[in-house]
Amino acid sequence: MARASKTVNGVQLTAPPQELVREPLVANQRGLGWLSDAVAGISERPTPKWWWPAFLTSLGLMTVCFAMIAYLMSTGVGVWGLGHPVMWGWAIVNFVWWIGIGHAGTLISAILFLLRQRWRTAVNRAAEAMTIFAVMCAGIFPVIHVGRIWFAWWLFPIPNANSIWPQFRSPLMWDVFAVSTYFTVSLLFWYMGLIPDLAVMRDRAKTKLKKFAYGLFSLGWLGANRHWSNYEKAYLLLAGLSTPLVLSVHSIVSLDFSVSQLPGWHTTIFPPYFVAGAVFSGFGMVLTLLIPLRKMCGLEDVITMRHIELMCKVTLATGTIVGYAYGMEVFIAWYSGNPYEQFAFWNRAFGPYWWSYWIMLSCNVFIPQLFWFKKVRRNLAVVWVMSILVNVGMWFERFVIVVTSLNRDFLPANWGYYVPTWVDILTYVGTFGLFFTFFLLFLRFLPIVAIAEVKGVIPQADPHHPLGGAKPGAHH
Amino acid sequence: MSAPKQPSQTPTLDLSRWRNVPNLMMGIGGAGALLGLIVNPTQFAHSWLLGFMFCLSLVMGALFLVIVHHLFDAGWSVPIRRFCEHIANLVFPWMVAFFVPIALFAPKLYSWMDIKDRAGHPALEAKYPLFTMGGFYLVSALCFAVWWWLAKGLRDASLEQDRTGAAECTHRMRRYAGGGIVLFAFTLTLAVILWMKGMMYEWFSTMYGVYYFAGSVWMTLGTVYLITMVLKRNGTLAAVLHEHQFYFIGSLMFAFTVFYAYIHFSQYFIIWNANVPEETFWYVLREQGTWWYVGMIIIFGHFFLPFLALLRIDLKLTFWWMTPICVWTWLMHYFDLSFNIMPTLHPDGFPLFWIWLDLACLALMVGLLTRAFLANFARHAPFPVKDPRLCEAMGLIAPCASPISGGEMDETDELADALPQTGAK
Repeated sequence: MARASKTVNGVQLTAPPQELVREPLVANQRGLGWLSDAVAGISERPTPKWWWPAFLTSLGLMTVCFAMIAYLMSTGVGVWGLGHPVMWGWAIVNFVWWIGIGHAGTLISAILFLLRQRWRTAVNRAAEAMTIFAVMCAGIFPVIHVGRIWFAWWLFPIPNANSIWPQFRSPLMWDVFAVSTYFTVSLLFWYMGLIPDLAVMRDRAKTKLKKFAYGLFSLGWLGANRHWSNYEKAYLLLAGLSTPLVLSVHSIVSLDFSVSQLPGWHTTIFPPYFVAGAVFSGFGMVLTLLIPLRKMCGLEDVITMRHIELMCKVTLATGTIVGYAYGMEVFIAWYSGNPYEQFAFWNRAFGPYWWSYWIMLSCNVFIPQLFWFKKVRRNLAVVWVMSILVNVGMWFERFVIVVTSLNRDFLPANWGYYVPTWVDILTYVGTFGLFFTFFLLFLRFLPIVAIAEVKGVIPQADPHHPLGGAKPGAHH
Repeated sequence: MSAPKQPSQTPTLDLSRWRNVPNLMMGIGGAGALLGLIVNPTQFAHSWLLGFMFCLSLVMGALFLVIVHHLFDAGWSVPIRRFCEHIANLVFPWMVAFFVPIALFAPKLYSWMDIKDRAGHPALEAKYPLFTMGGFYLVSALCFAVWWWLAKGLRDASLEQDRTGAAECTHRMRRYAGGGIVLFAFTLTLAVILWMKGMMYEWFSTMYGVYYFAGSVWMTLGTVYLITMVLKRNGTLAAVLHEHQFYFIGSLMFAFTVFYAYIHFSQYFIIWNANVPEETFWYVLREQGTWWYVGMIIIFGHFFLPFLALLRIDLKLTFWWMTPICVWTWLMHYFDLSFNIMPTLHPDGFPLFWIWLDLACLALMVGLLTRAFLANFARHAPFPVKDPRLCEAMGLIAPCASPISGGEMDETDELADALPQTGAK
């Protein structure tokens, strides 16, 4: 079968074979108007039947979370399973896990933007929302972990009556600044990207309340040339600002452990290993959320199989990097000849929590290797199950790091076995309620895909393309 | 996003008067290396290792770029892929040949080889059997074998596609890249641990493999930018290059500037903060005498200066600005490697007196590699002529009803008119 060819600049160019032709970013040659209708319509249509049960369940779980926090505050951290020698338990595990989940959003919106990866446009809005809600869930844990939560404000460098100044040499202090800066910039980035789409919602609104609300938050956006010019400059600047933040947040979280001298924690590869793990778990969560969402919201032509495949590839790449880090940890424990380090890793694999280590390794390293196969990447049910396993594995990774390094102290007299209490479990489960409550509200009231950005990457927006808008008879 | 400017437009570059430079480098470098070997064999071994690790950085960096090109199914990097394939293939026989003096002089480089009573050195005993003569040579041979197999396999498939244009060649290269990236990470880490970290066998850091990799790719990107610029200006690749090749290589240089600094800072900071003597001694040694100044050169020259120089989009496309930065990457990588290799021999400070021997060994290797590279480059098409992504690389819409992707469409004002749609099925 002959392929189309043409000579340009003296170079004979041939169309790629069918199997290597890139799939379009928006399927079925959908045009500009269709995109606005498909995305804005999700919020405009009557509330779908599935939404209310999902929302009420999430709300219920969120209430459980706050009830557990109230119980903790009124009683003390003794209601958790913490005790000598494991003084950091589920709370820190959950903190690191939720922070990690948040990383995919900023990576997609900032780093992939700077790298000109145009496929990001279909998934960045939902991923950014996920980031914000995940960081909110994460932020709860260190605050309630301080014990006397009413003194948590001492973490901020506010000159106060007692002349107490925060301990800046503590990595936990660095967390306060890293996480709060990350949350602020992520929120600003997300909101700024929403402005043109909020204006679309405003212009399409049928009720006065909606017109007022969307109008208020769209800040008088008219789509004028000057507006777009300022918007794009601000977007680029915020992307540039967010990029080091993505790397710094989880690097600083990793320093919570690695600056110590504890075997299993003190290792130089922790910062990039934590960042790779965070991106890995973040993409896992994006896949978990978007695979059902694209079906329920009728967005299969916007979040296409190509997007799913690309996200699977990122998951595979980061999972393999995490696998390299696991390997290096074990290798250097052997190489160093340090018996304590060697014991820490032996204990992880064959000690009382051996099962958590092997769950971690299976879910984070072995299972994602299936993503090498196109058939697996294009099977939505398999990808969805694997994405959940990624998140299970990453939760266990943090459990392994925190608990298995602490439960066997240097002296056997200081050994112990950590078991979470029902308060630990319900607090963690409750944060899912918090996360999904916000996420479902986001689905209901805001455009879940960046309409303006997706419009910019379809061929209809390109006047030079055969389908381009400048030509008569082109699709709109 | 603001539209970047066109790369500098200058007259065609005439390289004929530079044709003897590799021969001169080989001659002068060879004489200098021989002199060094006679007057101070231990210093020669260290200088040779430095030159070897420098050239290995380039070869491994090029292999990495070819692998990630296939892994990411990139379009923009097609025109530069061929010369990267040639650089990667310098691993055999040239890098293997350059390793021979290291193999012969290994006891002068690696103090652990002289230790007879291993039981009295627990840090060495723990590394059995890796840190034994057999382990050292066997693992070294394994690393070369893997690199040669990968580099050769990738280039053979690429050259075959030049003849046939078959999609199967792309699939084969992807398969090589898939398995290759894992093997690459595994072998490069082992090699760096054996050949560089092993000079102070008591010291350990899980980051070390990534650290060498980050610096190597950074320097390779500087070199790739220079080669691409020369090949554009002398007309070899002018027909297929678009400004986005320069933008993306420049952006990757910027990314690796930050990545290297991040990796090196993390390693230093974690060791400094924990203050465990088994780890800090490596850095304490590198703060003695003039090594402290070399450390400062690395902080400011390897990070701050290129970071600021590469921030602007338009400057990444400006040849007169980028040329000194690319050359600067060589200088900084040299200092970085010296900072790693030389303190075992010169604990009091940077061996300024012996810099001529470092340069002589480096000149000899670079001269030979350049000759080999040019011979390979002349023997084959200068770019993958039938690669299915070549159209994209040139910034053109593919001649079929599918939108281009991967970063080209934001430069639509420079796109040529669309090619005719496919109808010849």
